[in-house]
Amino acid sequence: MESDAEEETSATPTAGRLKGSPELTVDADMREMAKTAAWSVSSCKAGNGVAALRDDNLDTYWQSDGAQPHLVNIQFQKKVQLQLVVLYVDFKLDESYTPSKISIRAGDGFHNLKEIKTVELAKPVGWVHISLSGADPRETFIHTFMLQIAVLSNHLNGRDTHVRQIKIFGPRPNPVPRQPFHFISREFITYSTIR
Amino acid sequence: METLMVDRIHSSLRLFMHRNAIFLCERLCAQFPSETNLQLLATCYLHNNQPYAAYHILKGKKLPESRYLFAMSCFRMNLLREAEDTLCPVNEPNIESSIQVPSGATGNYLLGVIYRCTGRMSAAAEQFTQALTVDPLLWAAYEELCILGVAEDADECFSEATALRLQQEHASTSALEKSNFANENRILSSSLPSSLGDIIPKQMKQLHANITAEVPGYHHVRGTALHVQNSTTSNIVQFDTPSPATAQTSSIVPPPLFRNVHAYQNTISVDAPAKQKANGANQPLRRKYLDEARLKKVSGRLFNQSSESLPRRSARLSRDTTINSNSNISQFGGNGTDHSSGKLRVNSSTPSKLCSTAIRSVQVRKGKPRATENFDEGSRNEVIDEMWTDNEPATSSSVTTDGRFFEQDKAERIMSQDSKLAVGIRELLGLLRLLGEGFRLSCLFKCQEALEVFRKLPEPQFNTGWVLCQVGKAYFELVDYLEADHYFELAHRLSPCTLDGMDIYSTVLYHLNAEMRLSYLAQELISIDRLSPQAWCAVGNCFALRKDHETALKNFQRAVQLDSRFAYAHTLCGHEYSALEDYENSLKFYQCALQVDERHYNAWYGLGVVYLRQEKFEFAEHHFRRAFQINPRSSVLMCYLGMALHSLKRNEEALEMMEKAIAADKKNPLPKYQKALILLGLQKYTEALEELERLKEIAPHESSMYALMGKIYKQLNILDKAVFCFGIALDLKPPAADLAIIKAAMEKVHLPDELMDDDL
Repeated sequence: MESDAEEETSATPTAGRLKGSPELTVDADMREMAKTAAWSVSSCKAGNGVAALRDDNLDTYWQSDGAQPHLVNIQFQKKVQLQLVVLYVDFKLDESYTPSKISIRAGDGFHNLKEIKTVELAKPVGWVHISLSGADPRETFIHTFMLQIAVLSNHLNGRDTHVRQIKIFGPRPNPVPRQPFHFISREFITYSTIR
Repeated sequence: METLMVDRIHSSLRLFMHRNAIFLCERLCAQFPSETNLQLLATCYLHNNQPYAAYHILKGKKLPESRYLFAMSCFRMNLLREAEDTLCPVNEPNIESSIQVPSGATGNYLLGVIYRCTGRMSAAAEQFTQALTVDPLLWAAYEELCILGVAEDADECFSEATALRLQQEHASTSALEKSNFANENRILSSSLPSSLGDIIPKQMKQLHANITAEVPGYHHVRGTALHVQNSTTSNIVQFDTPSPATAQTSSIVPPPLFRNVHAYQNTISVDAPAKQKANGANQPLRRKYLDEARLKKVSGRLFNQSSESLPRRSARLSRDTTINSNSNISQFGGNGTDHSSGKLRVNSSTPSKLCSTAIRSVQVRKGKPRATENFDEGSRNEVIDEMWTDNEPATSSSVTTDGRFFEQDKAERIMSQDSKLAVGIRELLGLLRLLGEGFRLSCLFKCQEALEVFRKLPEPQFNTGWVLCQVGKAYFELVDYLEADHYFELAHRLSPCTLDGMDIYSTVLYHLNAEMRLSYLAQELISIDRLSPQAWCAVGNCFALRKDHETALKNFQRAVQLDSRFAYAHTLCGHEYSALEDYENSLKFYQCALQVDERHYNAWYGLGVVYLRQEKFEFAEHHFRRAFQINPRSSVLMCYLGMALHSLKRNEEALEMMEKAIAADKKNPLPKYQKALILLGLQKYTEALEELERLKEIAPHESSMYALMGKIYKQLNILDKAVFCFGIALDLKPPAADLAIIKAAMEKVHLPDELMDDDL
């Protein structure tokens, strides 16, 4: 699971810092959730706006242009279950623009966001997977209307930040409507829908 | 010069030298402007896929054949309103279609297709029925009726009475056969399957005037046999052929056809021409002979199958019949393999079939009667000659050549000819009856009966692309995917170019989760025909199987673009939008599918599912019920209908529906599971448990089942069993969402009841 990435301790002195991996690895039973969400940022430089975060192009990036913390707000049309946030950042290209401390907040709207996770990054290059699950199996997902990703500080004390891509993942809906559980065996799946 | 040019044009068309034909035809029209020549030019354009040119030159022409060609061009250019107006002028009282609608049966058929495309189903059904009455061998009309769900029993349509009628018509014609030798010659050739190409142009040329005058017999023969009523077609061109003798000799290249000595007529050799050759000198005699021979040939041809007969055409016209027939067929088929296109289903099946079956044997599976008329437009079939016999040995090509013909008494010939004709008609009708009944039953989703009917077909007929695809489809509707897979695979192997049922095949593979085979199939189909909607449907299914719904959607949209009258592509788009949770668009696409084909129960089902998700239970129930009415045998549909009823809290009916579903298909685990769910909702815990225990035998590795059992045990307060069940459920590795729920449930087992929530 994605939580393993967090425990990664390679060469960095401080354990628990994320490094990022070149591959985006996501379980098959998860899917990208934010295609129909409303994305906004606290500030941006002309030409490097919020669209760069969602264009599936790792060469374009969002560059903030204001005071810290820099915020990326994602508002969904209805309450959704979320499990994983993945960001693509690159220390080698962005150096002091690379985020180093990220806080993830969730809530119903701007007025009642609550922090649910904080992570620190150590010269990350690649996809950084941030799991939103708690320890309890009941807390595998968070149910929320809104997610806010806050960049609290950057490497080398940079003021502004570059983020190249952000993806949000949640569970797939059950292909058969109105069921308490998913079907996994072949016999059930074959008979479960008409195509 | 005119006739010479016409002749060359016809042979160019026959050999697919379209540009040559167009050029010569334009010269012809310039030199001898007449409407019939214009018709020929239009045919050339239609052959060359330039319907707009044909449209332009025929605009405003009034002759029936012209109107038919014009309507065909309009149809090809998607100008349905104009096509309809031409075929069925608004201000003229529609008395008798045979008069009003040009080209008789095929005209009715075209009009019917137009009505269907514009949503007037009952009018369409009427036209198709009329077409069938006029020409009972017009399979495409019967097919359309089946698809509309209003076809009458095949036994009625292709019955004894029809046989007698055909026979009589044919018989009466033969008496008249004394027409122009040349014409006959041509006619005969035309009747030959191969000759299709040949004849049609000629016919076209000719036109009305000649028809009646000339070869009434022929005309009738053709007409009766195929009910080709197009007067134009019957006009065998009136070639002012040079002396019959020359024609004769030239034409005499007796095609080798006669080898096939099928039951039909051994004595009557179709090789009249051949004989003629022998008798070069005896013109008058020959002429008579020819008449008869032709007649026989024609009839023989009609009812026999033999590659040999094909080539019968006169030498002048003789060409490689097989090539012709093939080409004709493919021409007709409308550019290749894509039969499914909503356009003229006219020959859709045939070409494929033809391709698959040995070319030589003009075995028209579906007996396309369209023959000459269609030829006019070039694209239609030549059917006439498609003869088709049930059993190879049974029918003999009338063409059995043999010099004996000459010696035979004419009367005798005529009589035996008639009897052969009768036999042939019966055989053809017999085959059509089987196929028609099978198709009708499968359209009504009476799949078991349909399968039985199809099994009655003789081996060679059964082992052809079309029939195997129909059988596969029947199994598919019965939710027996393994058998369906088997038959579709066989069909694909036997006739790799039949694309008609391949979209269903790809769905079968999707259901069976056979990713490799599905992607292989998709690649193959794309390489065969990149422009066929079925190929793109298969590709889309591939991606959908991998849960890449966006790419799947893109592919399905391509399929829709390629043919907007292909209902299944719309439905599949709807399914993908639904998976992407874009319900608005999915509703739109399902409704598009329904506009094209109201009896497409998958679209009704899709709508039901969307409404179920949106919690509009009334709507969901209505739509599932409509789907159920169309296909009352599907256990999956019954199950969903039950689910909708359960959501509406009509639990009694829901349970009843589940019982029906369980009875309909023992192997389907879903209704049992749903029944358990409903019982749980009704708090009948023990019965629910019983149901689930029974289910364990069918699907032992289903975590949802154990999870549900765990829940029920918790309700019954048998806590150790509850934990046990939850444990098994977890072991079976459900997806993350379920994991969370089950783990949570496990922990709560020892807590009081209030947390048994998350259920429906």
